Amino acid sequence: MNKTHYILAGLFSMICFLSQAQTQKGSVLIKNATVLTVTNGTLENTDVLVENGVIRRIGSNLSASNVETIDASGQYLMPGIIDAHSHVALDAVNEATSPITSEVKMADVVNPYDVGLYRALAGGVTVSHAMHGSANAIGGENITLKHRYGSGNPEDLFMKDAPRTIKFALGENPTRVHGRGNGNQPRTRMGVEAVIRNGFNEAIQYKKTWEAYNEAKKVKGATPVPPKYDTRLQTLADILDGKVIIHCHSYRADEIYALINTCRDFGITNIVFSHVNEGFKVAPELAEYTMGASVFADWWAYKFEVYYSTAYNAAILTENGVITSINSDSGELIRHLYHEAGKAQRYGELNDEQTLALITINPAKQLGIADKVGSIEEGKQADLVLFNEHPLSVYAVPQMTFVDGVKYFDINSDPDDMRLRVSASETVEPIFLKEHDHKCMHGVDFFFTNFGRNLFDHSH
Amino acid sequence: MNLYFRFKLHLGAFVLLVLLNFSTAFGQSDPTGERRVTGTYVIKNATITTSPGKTASNANILIKDGLVQAVGSNINIPKEAQVIEADSLFIYPGFIDAAGNAGVGKPAEAERPSDFNPSNPPDEVAGITPWRSVLDYYDPKSTQISDWRKVGFTLAQILPDGGMLPGKAAIVIYGGNASSNVLANQTAMAAKFRGMGRGMYPGTQLGVMAKFRDLYKNAELSSQHSRLFASNTGLNRPEINKTLEAFYPVLDKNIPVIFEVSNDLEIRRALTLQKENGFNIILSGVTEADPVIDVIKAANAKVLLSLKLPDDKVAKADVANKSEEVQARTKRVKEAYELALKQAALLEEAGIAFAFTSMGARSADLHKNLKVMIENGLSEDAALAALTTNPANILGIQKFAGSLEKGKLANMVIMTAPIFSEDAQIKHVVADGYIFNYDTSKKKNGGNGEASVAVQGIWEYTSDTPAGSSGGKMEIKKEGDRYTGSITYDNPAGGGKASSEMKDINVSGNYLSFSFSVSAGGMNIDVNVSGDIVGEEFSGNMNLADFGSFPLNASKVPNQFNK
Repeated sequence: MNKTHYILAGLFSMICFLSQAQTQKGSVLIKNATVLTVTNGTLENTDVLVENGVIRRIGSNLSASNVETIDASGQYLMPGIIDAHSHVALDAVNEATSPITSEVKMADVVNPYDVGLYRALAGGVTVSHAMHGSANAIGGENITLKHRYGSGNPEDLFMKDAPRTIKFALGENPTRVHGRGNGNQPRTRMGVEAVIRNGFNEAIQYKKTWEAYNEAKKVKGATPVPPKYDTRLQTLADILDGKVIIHCHSYRADEIYALINTCRDFGITNIVFSHVNEGFKVAPELAEYTMGASVFADWWAYKFEVYYSTAYNAAILTENGVITSINSDSGELIRHLYHEAGKAQRYGELNDEQTLALITINPAKQLGIADKVGSIEEGKQADLVLFNEHPLSVYAVPQMTFVDGVKYFDINSDPDDMRLRVSASETVEPIFLKEHDHKCMHGVDFFFTNFGRNLFDHSH
Repeated sequence: MNLYFRFKLHLGAFVLLVLLNFSTAFGQSDPTGERRVTGTYVIKNATITTSPGKTASNANILIKDGLVQAVGSNINIPKEAQVIEADSLFIYPGFIDAAGNAGVGKPAEAERPSDFNPSNPPDEVAGITPWRSVLDYYDPKSTQISDWRKVGFTLAQILPDGGMLPGKAAIVIYGGNASSNVLANQTAMAAKFRGMGRGMYPGTQLGVMAKFRDLYKNAELSSQHSRLFASNTGLNRPEINKTLEAFYPVLDKNIPVIFEVSNDLEIRRALTLQKENGFNIILSGVTEADPVIDVIKAANAKVLLSLKLPDDKVAKADVANKSEEVQARTKRVKEAYELALKQAALLEEAGIAFAFTSMGARSADLHKNLKVMIENGLSEDAALAALTTNPANILGIQKFAGSLEKGKLANMVIMTAPIFSEDAQIKHVVADGYIFNYDTSKKKNGGNGEASVAVQGIWEYTSDTPAGSSGGKMEIKKEGDRYTGSITYDNPAGGGKASSEMKDINVSGNYLSFSFSVSAGGMNIDVNVSGDIVGEEFSGNMNLADFGSFPLNASKVPNQFNK
């Protein structure tokens, strides 16, 4: 029967594509490229040999048998771009119902079919930090994704050797959603700080309760009563124990400095500030007490607290010794983070290496994965992008993108329709317009009455 | 399954009840006319499929007081038996709906306390009501049940309505009106990924999954505490919490969690929670299972496939003159559609003994959809198993339901032709020994939109709801081979009539179904209407999502527009 054949053929090609794209490790030899290592300068006419997902050798006249060889003469090879703040490939972004939701996990809602992942790959992005939104003072645990597009299993995308991270948020978003929207704490920036401090203090008590219980259990014949379990407080306790890196949505210098002080009071050093439009005012403090700042190149004025901004922010932070990265927070910007980095160079006159670090090794440091990705070094995971021009040129277009040595994007074999799964009953899917969803305040619109909606019709 | 013992008890009580009823039947008059003259029937000379793959021709089946007494060609027929001549009829075990909500009402919305805090709402407000029993919201006389019985269902596990943990399921039989028709209570704990909306915790799948984990963990600790307290002195008393206690039978693996899922990603999420916590799981409402078949098998999860199939949006799409991009895109939708129809076949091929859930599906589509699944590779035996033996096994009621053997419940479907053949019609449904008769005088026309009756025209209808009787007009037009129409009704906002477009107008033989939506109080309510046309009269039911099912009758207005 014709129909059956048709179905089988469709199925077969789908299965082939899926199984071929499982989290496998690839081997490839890229020859004669201009290699932008980021951590070790620029190497002209250099070969990079990838074996089994790992960069094995960097040098000249390398050869390997049974390995695909790519002649990259005249092309530029850089480490896969890392986006330290993204909401791509998530089915839900905000559990915007409580000021603290440290118990929720973005890993639970990863949608590996999101074509946004492929768009990111086409922009050279190999790792993104899929974050909870900014509706709550303390949001959920984020998940660091490797863009192994093609698998239907969310776990295949998880970067399992990345440390745990969590979303915090200061300023207008949490005060608007909770304080003004629902009439509870936090209503002001002071309230946000109080919510966070109270959370940590409760977590300390919680931890003590469980320690006491576990201690009591050790006594022979003892029958201690188990305390209540609370993932929310357990996660906060893990932050206090240094097991989780905070990534905090923030804009204003005063609240950034306030949270730095809160963290110092609780002995927390694993904190990265995100957006940080007024970061240039507290650059020395950020350099001394934090894991850095992840900023926009030139995006501001979408709400009151983001008016005091400058395109020199990334450069000022970098020159003050702050680990600085440039993030997308958007399914659109994620496609050209190399341009965004280029803007920081255009304004702040950073050198090429400093500029490329903004989208490679620096975000890797902020995600705790700099020993694995973020630069082209022997022994690191082979996340690589090949550009036709220098990636900081406005003419640069990514040609190929590799994750773990496996090619997931090739501009020469780039079909129009790269969706993995298609609705059986919608001929025009809303997915074509879905980039609007990949934002910090996704899903919290309903909290706002007319006042809030009109004044704050923005997304970060 | 240790459920069995409970069922046995129920069954015993139930048989006793029937006997008592029977013995008093002679002495009293029966003004309702519903009481049976005899509970003993013999159906003679039929082709009987006792279970999938086992068929005997020229066989008789004797049922007495709701139980099958004998099946075969040589059986003793007691003199009190009412004989039903069934030459040329085909008998199958009654269908079992492994998860349904026919007759299940929506609990009243819990009142918010004056100090309501959306970040920490009371369980009841947040849709966390695992202690509820679906039976408290069940109306065994609902017309929805008649709808499903009419297409062959005789027994169902019913799920409660509500939020993420709406309550406990029960198993009911679609029998006569004299009985409570309950076979077993507390048969599974229902769970789903949707909270009560975003206005309170948990609002999204993120929160629902976190909350489920926390409740499960604390239920374990609470049960541990209770055990310690029972066997030791000098301990603080446990805080009794009905939400956590409702988890205990799940912790003890006495009952499974029945998780409502949609696609493969939700299946994975449900199985993630299952793997972390170790409970027994039934996945209900499964679609798009093809990428996760191995995962389902590894977890030993039970599968209830959705009886709903997607609408075919591309079959009639004429894209020959459209751009290449549109053609390619349409081809992918077609592939996706065909894959959706193949799900049952793929599960069979993988050796997963799945059953069906009626939730979200329409009874009128049942036989049509089954045929589509069979055309797409599902074997007829597997299709029948998914309606009979598989759900019986999944629900742990195989000792007394799912097949036609001595000692099993007298549940059967009696058809005019082999079950999945084109002109098969249901003549009788026997549920719990009660015989329900259906009109097979009118031949169906294959269901491809051809009507044997003239549907187009103006109809005046009345419907009876608890709020009173109301009515309006339906105007149906035929455009090519499609029907369009509009329906008027009392404006929920007050002040006269409102009108809506009639959608999905489906005419098959003398059967008419359509839906429309009514906007009331800021929300859209979907109304599904289905029923039969005889001459100029329509009699059917109107289903209002979440509110129940009510009779709707209409007559054609005889004027010149109807010519």
